[in-house]
Amino acid sequence: MTTATFQLQYSDAVGFVADQGGRGFHLPMSMVIRGDGRIFVASRSNTQALDIVGIQMVTRGHEFFGQIGGYGREPGKMIWPTALALDRDDNLYLADDYLQRVTIYDRDGGVQGTWGTKGNGSGEFDGPSGLLFDADDNLLVVDHRNHRIQKFTRDGQSLGTWGAYGDGDGQFNLPWGITQDREGFMYVADWRNDRIQKFTPDGDFVAKFGASGDGNGQFNRPSGLAVDADGNLYVADWGNQRVQVLDAAGNYLMQLRGEAKLSPWAQEYVAANADELAARATYVPVFDVDTNDANEVSARIEPYFWDPVDVVLDDDERVYVLETSRHRFQIYEKA
Amino acid sequence: MPTVHSQQDVALMAHLLRRAGFGATLQELDHCLDQGYEATVEALLNPQPDAVPEDLIRRYHVDQSDLRNHAAGAAYWIYRMVQTQAPLREKMCLFWHRVFATAATKLIQARMVANQLDMFREHGMGSFQDLLLRLSRDPAMMMWLDNQDNHKGSINENYGREILELFSMGVGNYTEDDIKECARAFTGWRVVNPDYMSIRMRNNTARPYGYIAWQFEYDDTDHDHDDKTFLGQVGDLNGEDVVAIICRQEATPRFIARHLYHFFVADEVPVPQWPHTEPRDPQAIDLMCQAYFDSDYDVSAMLRAMFNADFFKSEAARFARIKSPVEMVVGTLRMAGGLELPSTDTYAAVGVCAAMGQFPMNPPSVEGWQGGSEWINTGAYVQRVNFASRVLSDASKPGIQAIIGRIRDLANGRGLPAEELVDACLHVVGPLEVPDSTRDGLIEYARSWGDVSFADAASTAQSERTIVALLQLVVTTQEYQMV
Repeated sequence: MTTATFQLQYSDAVGFVADQGGRGFHLPMSMVIRGDGRIFVASRSNTQALDIVGIQMVTRGHEFFGQIGGYGREPGKMIWPTALALDRDDNLYLADDYLQRVTIYDRDGGVQGTWGTKGNGSGEFDGPSGLLFDADDNLLVVDHRNHRIQKFTRDGQSLGTWGAYGDGDGQFNLPWGITQDREGFMYVADWRNDRIQKFTPDGDFVAKFGASGDGNGQFNRPSGLAVDADGNLYVADWGNQRVQVLDAAGNYLMQLRGEAKLSPWAQEYVAANADELAARATYVPVFDVDTNDANEVSARIEPYFWDPVDVVLDDDERVYVLETSRHRFQIYEKA
Repeated sequence: MPTVHSQQDVALMAHLLRRAGFGATLQELDHCLDQGYEATVEALLNPQPDAVPEDLIRRYHVDQSDLRNHAAGAAYWIYRMVQTQAPLREKMCLFWHRVFATAATKLIQARMVANQLDMFREHGMGSFQDLLLRLSRDPAMMMWLDNQDNHKGSINENYGREILELFSMGVGNYTEDDIKECARAFTGWRVVNPDYMSIRMRNNTARPYGYIAWQFEYDDTDHDHDDKTFLGQVGDLNGEDVVAIICRQEATPRFIARHLYHFFVADEVPVPQWPHTEPRDPQAIDLMCQAYFDSDYDVSAMLRAMFNADFFKSEAARFARIKSPVEMVVGTLRMAGGLELPSTDTYAAVGVCAAMGQFPMNPPSVEGWQGGSEWINTGAYVQRVNFASRVLSDASKPGIQAIIGRIRDLANGRGLPAEELVDACLHVVGPLEVPDSTRDGLIEYARSWGDVSFADAASTAQSERTIVALLQLVVTTQEYQMV
């Protein structure tokens, strides 16, 4: 059986809290990996550190290339970045929940355009929160407070929409992430319905996986998701502070809770601060906690995922888990 | 037919809801009047948990997920106070936050203060002994008062001193030796990974991967098991024993009752003067002390005795205290309504409170905020007025629409003269009683806008603007600043 053999093992962590700038991320929300290995991470940051709102560029090998964009309303700027996607030509698309728009950057980070206004009409948004380029290089936007998916050409011409508010098949309650398998089926994280829904490329309902809860195969507000060549589905089970893996039929395979070690950037920081280095020698990162609140557990245990918001696979099917509140992504590989 | 309540009943109920909460909308006031005074007190003392959309808050305001940032933490709490269906419980969080003052500035992460407030939310109206024990184990308090540095053979007296001086009995009821023995009893009480957590706090760093929340830990090997003599009791006393001994003392409920009186009834002199100054109302303190001992140290019993007593209900007690910045800001936001999730209004509210001298989660010292006349100076008054006017400027907010609806009902198809409009506006925000000169000024202002009428769409729109403008002026009155 697949269940017995499927395993993921921790490989690495990339990141650092860049609350004062420099290498790293600050409250990251989404990531995407370009074919050449460059990784784009959109940081939301907070009101005390608006300079770090933007898209940081890194590699799996811990290279840091600075930042695209910044905080603001002007073209190319952002306020609440929520999702990233790359088209066939490596143009980078960013969704902004606050500004209700999609912004396009070229391969060098130049601003190519932006579209979107608040509303519930065709081509309008109320909270764009998930982006996906389908096999035809059309852009799917999870328009989450309108509880629907919208489809656009690369330059923003509307091609249709599906979904409505509700908990029936094909209906949504504040959906978040979206992904597609090799056969063209699409999967949407139906966030407040605590389930994943599967659709045909045309948006027809196929199946649904999961229910509310913290058991195997259950979800608490799933956010990002990805699917591998075998059809296995990787879900950021955001509210349960874990990642779950389901097989192509939606059966539970395994889960990750996180086991990050210090990234090279983190090691350099600790090594440069003698008092913290010395204290870290006796530090026990994983200990028995006196709470069942998964969010609070994650706040106390540094190696665990804290607000795992996005899951992305690279071309070698390594699994990248982006954590908002730990300002890093952890990388896992199939054993 | 709806029940008609006397003006005295309305004024008394509004007083209770201002003091035991953050004021009431007309609908809430009507509901409580139908319930009756004592039943309302019981409902306030026995609230249900609030339904808080934590998932939405954390999705849209990610800085309220890690709760690291002080402004984010305070904005989250302001939101809780504005949205709560249990206003006394939130008011008691504010009360204990003032008495057990713990500031996020030193702790470097607002989350720890937020967790402490959660503890107050759950236990702040229960047994005082239970509360004091939980406070002694609270990670924010341990780090705030350096108990991680309190070791067997090398005590740090900070928590041992403050639990007696500021959290339970007050100066004059124990000796310096009692402080030392108390500190010895709390040796071994610390947080997990104390060295690393202390250094991160000292260095004020979130690096490398964000803050790490603290957890209480008892290390028996670091606890001083030798005999101690504390307030006349001898033995191998631990923290639990010390808390139990403190709670048996006559001085403890007297100290807590005086704090309750100051917070809910009338301003007392600053705490350092208490050993030398009689309480304003010794009988009120006696009444609450009796309730404390009769109920096995129950804070709710003290509150019940206070709210049902004549000294609380008396007309002299009404509008006799200056609203704290948080009371004013939260009350105004509740009146306006429409705050389904944290918004820019909640962050702005934090800024305004801070500018007026009360940054929630950041009391200025371990002695908290004194309050009273300290809350008002020229700059603070301008902050108050500007904030309240801005919040009430949007006629589409549901609270404002409800007020407009009441005034429309009052007009009942006729044009409403300025005098009646002013009285109606004073009623809905209080009811407020203002001097004639103030009322005359408000009437003159209302007249400048013309009579209020709802005859057609155009006059309705104009009337809504008039009502909003008048409400904005009413909240600038001296009387609105009182509670």
